[in-house]
Amino acid sequence: MNARVDLPAAREVCPTTTRRLIGEGALLVDVRELDEVAQVAFDVPGTLLMPMSELEQRFAELPRDCQLVLVCTVGERSLKATYFLMYHGYTQVANMEGGIVKWSRKGFPIKGQVPVTASAAGGCCSPASSKSGCC
Amino acid sequence: MDIKVLGTGCANCKTTIALIEQVAQSKGVPVTLSKVEELRDIMGYGVMSTPGVVIDGKVVHAGGVPSRDKIEKWLAA
Repeated sequence: MNARVDLPAAREVCPTTTRRLIGEGALLVDVRELDEVAQVAFDVPGTLLMPMSELEQRFAELPRDCQLVLVCTVGERSLKATYFLMYHGYTQVANMEGGIVKWSRKGFPIKGQVPVTASAAGGCCSPASSKSGCC
Repeated sequence: MDIKVLGTGCANCKTTIALIEQVAQSKGVPVTLSKVEELRDIMGYGVMSTPGVVIDGKVVHAGGVPSRDKIEKWLAA
């Protein structure tokens, strides 16, 4: 089966940098499941939908010749997906930390509404943890 | 025999480790069992579903707790 690859740390970018990269031609790759996307989606033209449940079978559809920024709800699944693509030789990949929760909190365009449960799962920048001053 | 269990610490990963330990003990097979819990290290094996099991550097299993039968076969090899 699989050979081991010593992967470097994945590149992680914030929503603001992600927007800049999109402006420079990067593609957003949303790895959330389709029912999640139906609830709330990134309002970014050209966003590719590649649910985690299909990634292993379909990842070869993703282009290798342009920058990809992987996104999900809070940035955990997309980090895993980023490493998966790196394992398969993709070099121009980055993970957007904070996912659509952080993206929408920044006021960046979305279609729909971020569910309260997802919003609460925002980790470091959730209202409960903001007192700690980490953000 | 060097066995690594790949997983970020979920219940299935713990069960897998316990099961391998149990089977190795009952068969009297000496194994070096270790956990790989860092996402980057796990993904370095290209494994999307955990737990994963690596024996002497080869991924032999990915996703779900392996059956006792399967573990016995690995240890007999």
